[in-house]
Amino acid sequence: MQIESQERDDVLLKRSAKGDEEAFTLLYRRNQAQIYRFALRMTGRAWAAEEIVQDVFMTLVREPKKFDPTRGPLAAFLYGIARNRVMKHLERQPREFSLEYRSGDNGTSEIEVPDERTPAHWAELHERRDCVRAAVLSLPLEFRETVVLCELEEMSYEEAATVLQCPVGTVRSRLHRSRALLLAKLEMLRNAPKRANAGY
Amino acid sequence: MNCEEFVNSGLASAAAAGPETAAAREHLRTCPECAALYARLLELRGELRELGKASTQAATPSRVEMRLRQEFRTRHKTDKNRDRAVVAGWMLAAATMVLAAGSMVVWQQRQGNHVNPTPAPVSVSAVANGPELGGTLIAASDDEQFALIPGALPGLQDETSVVRVQMQRGALGALGLSVNDEQASDIVQVDLLLDTDGQPQAYRLAESTD
Repeated sequence: MQIESQERDDVLLKRSAKGDEEAFTLLYRRNQAQIYRFALRMTGRAWAAEEIVQDVFMTLVREPKKFDPTRGPLAAFLYGIARNRVMKHLERQPREFSLEYRSGDNGTSEIEVPDERTPAHWAELHERRDCVRAAVLSLPLEFRETVVLCELEEMSYEEAATVLQCPVGTVRSRLHRSRALLLAKLEMLRNAPKRANAGY
Repeated sequence: MNCEEFVNSGLASAAAAGPETAAAREHLRTCPECAALYARLLELRGELRELGKASTQAATPSRVEMRLRQEFRTRHKTDKNRDRAVVAGWMLAAATMVLAAGSMVVWQQRQGNHVNPTPAPVSVSAVANGPELGGTLIAASDDEQFALIPGALPGLQDETSVVRVQMQRGALGALGLSVNDEQASDIVQVDLLLDTDGQPQAYRLAESTD
């Protein structure tokens, strides 16, 4: 049976629950990338993101009835499971951040666009990006997920509020606070090598 | 607008869509510190956007999809087997019920047969008016058939027993049979057909002992 690509997620999920593998596959392909990116940006580890995506969709296979379409879209439900898994992962891991996803996932996580700039320029760009990434990963969890959703995933405040299950105002204030924290952390990270070179 | 107000409110709106309010714009023009902070914020947003773009194409490795589809198949195959087992279980239970009901009906029919006797395993010929022993009875026993004792119901139950007794012919009178007085002292062997209560239902004169 051919499934129309525009079919709604909840309809696909119902079919999937009845054993329609094609419906499940379409559902997975439609949603996996955003969940993977979220997990990757939250944990900084490709292997952890992979595990989290697998857990999220395994829940969908095993307990499809957990999803209640009256409470929001399927994507929000999947994000909810992913957030729980991320939290569990971070609780297990030591407090350190990884820069793994710069070239993670077999080198496909980051798409490099070749241009005419010099290697030195690229090195500087990578360094700056690593600093930003490290600063994001060092944010407290609730600020980190707000930055990941609103800044990196470019969701609207309303969409982020649905995913985070909080009021839009909370998203706005968390983002404001996150930016201030990021500015401070970036300043600290960028000045650290200078201080070290200066003999501090 | 002072610096604190700008940081608390103006910065957010400025970061969202540029310095929208006149007050924020005015403060940015007059305060180099806030202008520098705003510039850093814009730079940060640019860097975050870059970081976001850098991993936009990130996707789960295809092995995850394979694993999930395998799990999906296994799960639904198991579910189907479980459904089949449940159906088979119900069918078995239904068959057992039918069998039990059938057995019950047969048993009840058999019980009914006890109440309404059908042809008995031992053939009995009814002797209408209590034939006189020594005459008719001998003929009755010749063809190995029992004769009903007067007062007994015609037909016999399934579970009967035959008892052979030796007695004086005159004692047969106690069973309601008429006995010739001249032969009353003769010793005879009589087969008595007893019902489940031990009551004689029919008799057969075996042979005279004299």
